[in-house]
Amino acid sequence: MSEEMKRIAEEQEKWLLMTEGLRERKEKFTTDSGIPLKSLYTPLDTEKIDYVRDIGFPGLPPYTRGVYPNMYRGRLWTIRMFSGFGTPEETNQRWKLLYEAGETGFSAAVDSLTFAGVDPDDPIDWVKAEVGKEGVPIYSIKGMEVMVEGLPIDEVSVALVVEPETSAAITSMYFNVAKKRGIPVESLRGTTQNDILTMTIGYVPWRPLKPEDLLKLACDLIEYCTAMGNAPKWNPINFTTYNYREGGIDAVQEIALGLANAVAHIEELLSRGWGIDDFAFRLAFHLSAHKDFFEEIAKYRAARKLWYRLMTERYGAKEEISKQFRFHVQTAGSSLCAQQPMVNIIRTAYQALEAVLGGCQSLHTNSYDEAVCLPSEEAVLLAVRTQQVLREEAGVGNVIDPLGGSYLIEALTEELEHRIWEYFEKIEDAGGIVEALKSGWLYRMMNKAFEKRRKAIESGEEKVIGVNCYVMEEEPHPPFKTNPRAAEIEIERLNKLRAERDNLKIKSLLDELRRVCEKKENVLPVVMELTREGATVGEITNTFREMWGLWDVPMMG
Amino acid sequence: MERKTRVLLFKPGIDGHWRGILTVSSALSEAGMEVIFEGFKSVDTVVEAALQEDVDVIGYSVHSGAHHEWTIKLNEALEKKGVRDRFLVILGGAIPHADHEDLKKEGADAVFSPGTDTRDIVRFIQENVPRSR
Repeated sequence: MSEEMKRIAEEQEKWLLMTEGLRERKEKFTTDSGIPLKSLYTPLDTEKIDYVRDIGFPGLPPYTRGVYPNMYRGRLWTIRMFSGFGTPEETNQRWKLLYEAGETGFSAAVDSLTFAGVDPDDPIDWVKAEVGKEGVPIYSIKGMEVMVEGLPIDEVSVALVVEPETSAAITSMYFNVAKKRGIPVESLRGTTQNDILTMTIGYVPWRPLKPEDLLKLACDLIEYCTAMGNAPKWNPINFTTYNYREGGIDAVQEIALGLANAVAHIEELLSRGWGIDDFAFRLAFHLSAHKDFFEEIAKYRAARKLWYRLMTERYGAKEEISKQFRFHVQTAGSSLCAQQPMVNIIRTAYQALEAVLGGCQSLHTNSYDEAVCLPSEEAVLLAVRTQQVLREEAGVGNVIDPLGGSYLIEALTEELEHRIWEYFEKIEDAGGIVEALKSGWLYRMMNKAFEKRRKAIESGEEKVIGVNCYVMEEEPHPPFKTNPRAAEIEIERLNKLRAERDNLKIKSLLDELRRVCEKKENVLPVVMELTREGATVGEITNTFREMWGLWDVPMMG
Repeated sequence: MERKTRVLLFKPGIDGHWRGILTVSSALSEAGMEVIFEGFKSVDTVVEAALQEDVDVIGYSVHSGAHHEWTIKLNEALEKKGVRDRFLVILGGAIPHADHEDLKKEGADAVFSPGTDTRDIVRFIQENVPRSR
């Protein structure tokens, strides 16, 4: 121990004597993930940290302080609001409103049919009830065209929040619309979420595909866009740990799952003969900003370090860009309450601050009414303004990684790094992501985590304002309603398309897709042709179902 | 031996937000009820299943915003078979409080929105079952 550390330790002894016998509010203080918290952090807690090796400089390994050398000094994070409802026309209007309000990136929330890959005129008649209810219906290139009509998609990036079931169909619709507008696909910036865990543990769709087939589809898009260079600026995947976190797990499990999921894709792509640097530079993440302020900030820093470690130690990546962990953040929907909804504005603001202090690349802030309905115009504008207060008034983007060097943050970053890696190894021991899905291991883990959280809230151990403390009587808040005619409008749009398109050509292209599915070739080239010719999301996804079969999800673990 | 209360839980439609109904399922089991978890079901087939399983309660979860549609359809299917009164019908999910009154008119006996303590659901069932046995 150095002289200085000895002096600090001596002083600490004096302070500890003073605190002896003082009562504390709680018996035990921990972070949300259960890391024990001391009442005070000092240089003694960061003594073993080697600054250059473990923290370093932004834009330099191990990227603890950020992936870019100048971070928000150069360009602030992207304001990207997840948005969509009713019809493509209405969504287009909302996107224009958000753009005028200062949004700097778009993100499409699709309805449950588009998400699962089901057409509104499916023989199962009752699917109609959900058209346009929880997102925008995009069943063909026609809907896509309308959604982005008049928007500067040559300049502004677009996130398509669709998963492997429909990522090829929806992404290719977008690429085809861009082509029609004269924008080269190679220049397009944006993201397809394309996350297998969102569609398995985050959400279980109707007529689900098997995990190995979802992995294949996810990797097809990465291969087509990135490795083969068809859309080099497009992020073909966003490992969406946000969605897993919403299921009740903690910060450690969130990042560990994200890494394990990335590994499954990397292994698949390596086995297809690609090198790590052919695609790793476009692997991106979508993280949660949850309740525990300091732990979340440390989580982002730890995630960057861990990605660097994974890419160098395990995969021997050569390109620096392959080792840089880039991520979007969404404030935690599961932290929002239906009770006293205005309190959600405050919750979201603190969570947005976590994301910014953690160095996110883009950010979605939830609207205060989202615990019960889709955001109203008023609510979504407030959510945009929440980010603008941080950008324009609070000055939090003026210094890079401003909490770096905090004894607490550095100690937490180290501890999280250690715990996340341990949990990541546990998932690997369970056979990796695909095996852990099939065996039910991941479902058991998620169910257990959520049960623990439910009990903590119901016992009052975890405080939730308006739910188990500070409860009060209130008038119900009028909800935002979606277009009741959405199903009719969309079926009409499809009928027209089916009458106009070359159905023989579609039929032969669908046969070609069957052949591609059978041979397990990349589906993208033929899906690009299919959606250009007017094939629907249901026609394409049903072909996958027909060729590969459905999955009996071990949901109960 | 006293007969256990039997509850059928399902998701109408195709929305895959499962967390809520899985949670209710384990809370009801913990409270000593027999839970028959049906997953995705159409409202027509669910009525058949409820009769076959001889349940006391039909519970469904909606997070898609289509809660009015599904409540009306389920009620119609029950009425068509003339068995509406045999079951306690409860709805949960991302449902605005402002919609509760209408949903009760449309056929739900109780509506549980986000933030519900699962013990309140247990209590409601215990106080209202058996209905017309």
